[in-house]
Amino acid sequence: MFSFILVAASQLVFLERSFFKDLGLGRTGKDFILDNYVRFFTDGFYLNTLWVTVKTSALAALFTLLLGFPVAYLIARMRSRWAMVLLASIVVSTFITIVIKVYGLIVIFSASGVLNKTLLSLGLVSGPYSIFGKETGVVIGLMHFTLGFGVLLLYSVIQTIPRSFEEAAQIHGASRWRVYYRVIFPLALPGVTAMVLMVFNMCMGAFTSAALLGGGRVFTLPVLIQRTVFMDIKYSMAATLAAVLLFSVILINILSIYLLRRMRAAHLVTV
Amino acid sequence: MSGWKSTGGKALIVGTLLAITQALAGPALAGKFDGVTLRIGTWGGSWKANMEERIVPRFEAEGGKIEFVTGSPQANFAKVVAARGQAPFDIMEILDAQVSDILEAGFLQKLNLELIPNKQHMDAYQYNENMIGSWHTQEVICYNKDKFAELGIPAPTTYKDLVRPELEGRISFPDINSGGGLANLGSLAYATGGDENNIKPALEMLKAMKILKFWSQGGELVQQYQSGDVYASVSNAGWCLRAKNAGVNVTSVHPFIKEGMVGVAKEGWLGIMSNSTNVEAAHWFLNEYLDEEFQLLFAKKSGITPINRNAIARMGEDPVIAEMLVLDPVKIQKQQRTDYSKFQISDWTDEWNRMVAQ
Repeated sequence: MFSFILVAASQLVFLERSFFKDLGLGRTGKDFILDNYVRFFTDGFYLNTLWVTVKTSALAALFTLLLGFPVAYLIARMRSRWAMVLLASIVVSTFITIVIKVYGLIVIFSASGVLNKTLLSLGLVSGPYSIFGKETGVVIGLMHFTLGFGVLLLYSVIQTIPRSFEEAAQIHGASRWRVYYRVIFPLALPGVTAMVLMVFNMCMGAFTSAALLGGGRVFTLPVLIQRTVFMDIKYSMAATLAAVLLFSVILINILSIYLLRRMRAAHLVTV
Repeated sequence: MSGWKSTGGKALIVGTLLAITQALAGPALAGKFDGVTLRIGTWGGSWKANMEERIVPRFEAEGGKIEFVTGSPQANFAKVVAARGQAPFDIMEILDAQVSDILEAGFLQKLNLELIPNKQHMDAYQYNENMIGSWHTQEVICYNKDKFAELGIPAPTTYKDLVRPELEGRISFPDINSGGGLANLGSLAYATGGDENNIKPALEMLKAMKILKFWSQGGELVQQYQSGDVYASVSNAGWCLRAKNAGVNVTSVHPFIKEGMVGVAKEGWLGIMSNSTNVEAAHWFLNEYLDEEFQLLFAKKSGITPINRNAIARMGEDPVIAEMLVLDPVKIQKQQRTDYSKFQISDWTDEWNRMVAQ
């Protein structure tokens, strides 16, 4: 209860601040206005920033799922002791600070990095490929940030699916792919949805990957909030951006859960 | 034996007397800043390390203690604004771009210039009753000589020389969010026929340059040169020097801005916060910062240009520094400086964001 109050109180403070006019140097007016919101929703630049934030976060969540699910499945179904070693190494990797992870990516993807050297030696590219200053780089950075966490969540979901279900399906002639598609995935869907939403929410608020890999050209809402606070010292506008970010996340989460329920009701998913 | 006893007794008496004398003399011998904790709002890394190397031990010898509140001047300014002027430090590093805002907000107390004798080694335009100049940087075009030779392109003399197909995706420019961002955008505006009230030509040239990355930390830039991602950049000469020290064959060019104006200067200032009560110690610190030896050490390790004239003269003894920096005070004074009182930083930021956003 206390933690809820603490979280809610801080949100309310900036929400309240978003309804006043910026007077410069962090000062705000006294009249209750909606100008900041009007500006946000009528200015293509801000709307595009919101779109870029949602798009990069959604793509990062999707790729985290696509890359994380096979790894989580493999570890969950491994019978050897290596399963625990792999799981422990993933847990440890989640402790590494994001700045270090991002710098690792910068080294790997640099012109003289491993990736470009390999691509060039194989003749797949004519010149070094760069991810800096592009949405691709930001998506990779966000995915790198959430992958370990995603694998851990998916591992715990897959572990709850009895192995006997898969064996029964295979005995009845189901192919490996059909087992995944008709047994494992539907049973894992609620957990997968929770994982995708959690990863998406983390990415929506992530600053470091977008700031370092975006090369000052990819503007997500967290990047723009930082600039509005530090460069412009416009607290009200920054609060407006933060409020839009918060409500976008809430709205997308509610919408996703609603859609999943509708799909269930229509028997489009069998859980 | 009795002699030993007698000698030992004398020694004991003498020792006791000495101990009493020392104890009594203690307070009189103590430093003039006993018990004073001076807080400095400044950058971390080598910037802070320079002060820890020279100023901190000297202050501690006077009985005081120095603590650092690290962050960029923008971040520290934001802290003061958020705290409504109750700064969490006594002294703050101020960028030229912040001067008008910080004065308007009334965050600084007046200086007693009599307590800063080292100002005699500075030019008059470098201090006033509110602030004192502390360093300046020379914003340059830094380029990798080997890569330019490989591509068969001539050394740049001004910004427009960076607009070449061979350099597409190989240039790094300071983000507007970085310490030198505004200064370099201002100089680019002047070099392209604009000014503080018209940065459109500068933004158009930036677009034409096909920048790989807008850097916000100088360390990033050095890494970009080392990894081969970047062949040319705009930055202060210090970062170019550090890239050179890191083994990259770079050199700096002071860009031609317009007739009679070559090179770009960005100035750093120091001010005492209005809520500081450690006024004497703060003035002592400012004076130490302007000391010839510290300025020299600072310049060599962090690549800034000293304010102290004697230190500037000694900089020329190093051939690498002499190649990269302009050390003639007359030429330094003629370098382009952006007038931050002529525009709103938020307007520039807004225009910039819209230009660079994908």
